[in-house]
Amino acid sequence: MKSLITKSIYLFSIVLLIACGKSTDVVESGTYTGKIIEVEADKSEIYVKTEDDKTLELYFVEDTKLTQNGEKVPFSTLEEDQTVEVEVKKVGKRLDPLTVKIQ
Amino acid sequence: MDIQTWHPISVHFPIAFLLLSGILSLYLVYKFKKYLAQFNFGLLLIGLIGCGIAIYTGNIEDGKVSRTLCDPTILKTHENYAYYLLWIFIANLAFWAVKLLIRPKSYNTILAILIIVSSLIGICCLVYVGHLGASLVYEQAAGVKVPSEDCEGF
Repeated sequence: MKSLITKSIYLFSIVLLIACGKSTDVVESGTYTGKIIEVEADKSEIYVKTEDDKTLELYFVEDTKLTQNGEKVPFSTLEEDQTVEVEVKKVGKRLDPLTVKIQ
Repeated sequence: MDIQTWHPISVHFPIAFLLLSGILSLYLVYKFKKYLAQFNFGLLLIGLIGCGIAIYTGNIEDGKVSRTLCDPTILKTHENYAYYLLWIFIANLAFWAVKLLIRPKSYNTILAILIIVSSLIGICCLVYVGHLGASLVYEQAAGVKVPSEDCEGF
């Protein structure tokens, strides 16, 4: 019986892993470099995996400046696997992107 | 009506249906009654449809309120656990479907354990998701429109 219960719990752990959501990290204000792992265009949101393996969830705000080669570009320019340098401001535990530079 | 307001409406249906179904599932493992099990299957199905709608409306609201929250990580956990509970109750539905439709004689104990475990974990996730949702509204005013001090417009 014990092994059955253990197996059931393992099974559910696998289900949870399959269904697993994204866990995100909170970092201090500053500039970080990383790769875009997801772009959610309808929410103007990107997920960036930094070099020190942190996942930043960034919702673009009105003041966010998105540039490529020094020029302003629209949000639609962003794609997965692009390397970006982001300057974020920590407000509470929220990260507001001030600048996003596509490299 | 803004679709944003559909989230607080739609979340209460899966809470009611899935919570009742989870408790009923536990009772049915203890004392099986076919008509009650069929009723429970219906509850689960409606609850899961409601859960899908709640996740859909929540996802729309997420894009609107995240920029105003002081701790969006709570919203992310709320969202993740909503998906967990969806998957767990889908598994619960599958176990009940096997029990009611295929009626295997040799796997009754395993099915009973799977139903108990999935119901218990599902109920825990449901309560936790509800708690996080309440925390987002009451502690961070997620999606809350604050009226003026003189209640103008009322």
